[in-house]
Amino acid sequence: MSLLSLTWRNIRGNAFRSWVVFLCALVVAGFALSTTLIMRGAENSLRLALARLGADIVVVPEGSESKVETALLMGTPATVWMPQENMQKISAVPGVAVASPQLYLSTLHDASCCTVPDMFLVAYDPATDFTIQPWLKRRFGNDLKLGEAVGGTHIFVPPGEQNIKLYGYFVSLKGNLEPTGTGLDQSLFFTFDTARDMARISHTRAERALQIMPDSISAVLVKVVPGTKPQDVALGILHAVPGVTPIESPNMFQAYRKQMAGLLKTTLALLTITWALSVVLLGLVFSMAANERRREIGVLRALGARREYVFKSLLAEAVLLALAGGAAGIALGAFTIFLFRNLLISSLGIPFLFPSAAPLLVLVGGGLVVALVSVTTAALVPAYRISHQDPALAMRE
Amino acid sequence: MKIVGVILIALAIVIAVVPQFLDCQSQGRAITLADGRLIPMKCHWTAVAEIALGVPLVGLGALLALSKRRETRRALGVVGAMLGAFAILLPAALIGVCAMNEMLCNSVMQPTLILAGTLVMVISLGAFGFSFGGKEVEPA
Repeated sequence: MSLLSLTWRNIRGNAFRSWVVFLCALVVAGFALSTTLIMRGAENSLRLALARLGADIVVVPEGSESKVETALLMGTPATVWMPQENMQKISAVPGVAVASPQLYLSTLHDASCCTVPDMFLVAYDPATDFTIQPWLKRRFGNDLKLGEAVGGTHIFVPPGEQNIKLYGYFVSLKGNLEPTGTGLDQSLFFTFDTARDMARISHTRAERALQIMPDSISAVLVKVVPGTKPQDVALGILHAVPGVTPIESPNMFQAYRKQMAGLLKTTLALLTITWALSVVLLGLVFSMAANERRREIGVLRALGARREYVFKSLLAEAVLLALAGGAAGIALGAFTIFLFRNLLISSLGIPFLFPSAAPLLVLVGGGLVVALVSVTTAALVPAYRISHQDPALAMRE
Repeated sequence: MKIVGVILIALAIVIAVVPQFLDCQSQGRAITLADGRLIPMKCHWTAVAEIALGVPLVGLGALLALSKRRETRRALGVVGAMLGAFAILLPAALIGVCAMNEMLCNSVMQPTLILAGTLVMVISLGAFGFSFGGKEVEPA
């Protein structure tokens, strides 16, 4: 009888034991993959958001740091203002290569244009912008005209309509940016001219007029001169421009990073407990199986089966069940996280982007290894003990 | 096969019952027409249609748990897989749910139905596949 057919018979021979091992491998692999997916997805999302902003420093009105960060990361609209003259002051700070102002606005609640109740509107200055313009040039070869906009991945033109209607103003959606898993996915970007035109039209056509504070801006994105430390430039801005807070790019979204670190600790603790309990349970199951099969293994040895053959057949049983359970757990975990990603974002309050195929394959491999190591570790001692027992003694019991 | 039947019954109950508590109608949301009348959003019709899938699926699960003939299990497996596919298609393509990500019908009801429908399909196809092997239990 071949090793594989003996293993298969053993698996089918005790369905309850096999199901317990299968389910333990499923839980360990599924849980390990799900938690890693969430943490990696959130980290990936933060990285993409920073890359999308493309700024070394973001200058916001003093005291509005968390409002702006929440707007950029979670898409919760924020309207903050600072004098437009700050723009000139920031540009004059040594080490500043480019400074570009932005206006942060908000739609009316429950607008029909998009998949979110409140859409975050970002107006930018095409003359100085380095966030949207390079993407537009690459994609369409020209800039946005009056009345045109680009949206995050969740922005769409309502079915049956030609344009997005905002404050009674028709905006033509020129394209959608790649997903980041952050609030930028539910933001609409257009030029300052479009924002002013929208505000003008809104006075006569909208339920509530769009208010833009005169001679004001919401934030300034800064790129520093290559070779200059962003920290030094940020200090320079802090001294030269009163009433503003410069946030360096690596320090952005600190509140969310702390929240994620807390979440990581909790999930790691839960993962460790689950893993340890599963290994103990599997160890017990394999020990019971080894005791149950003492006579059977004794007969097998008496018929000429070598110790290595018995040891290998027991380990092969564990490996097969671990691979099957691990694969099922990974498929279930990844599919569930993918389906419930929107619920995760809203309930955990963190950004999340499902990983692409290559990183996902690495995580899947990792999950399978965890399941394999857990089950094999638990089966190792009982398999060694039973394969080294004296066949004569075992058959007499 | 009893355990398979019981799992299918549990999934059928999820498919039929869960949407009734997660559609916009149950959350007090409806579309207001120009004349002031309120009409249900499309996720409500998906929830109603899922009852029509869940009820026969309960019967199918019971039959699968009780059946002893291979041919019966094979036929039930195929029908179960089709019902599972429709449980997915109703919220994902045929009727749909509301567009906003933050609505319960979009963030919870649709994923729950897709997950339950997928499990129904996998289990039914498993029952179909296993009906080709093993010994047939002769009816008493």
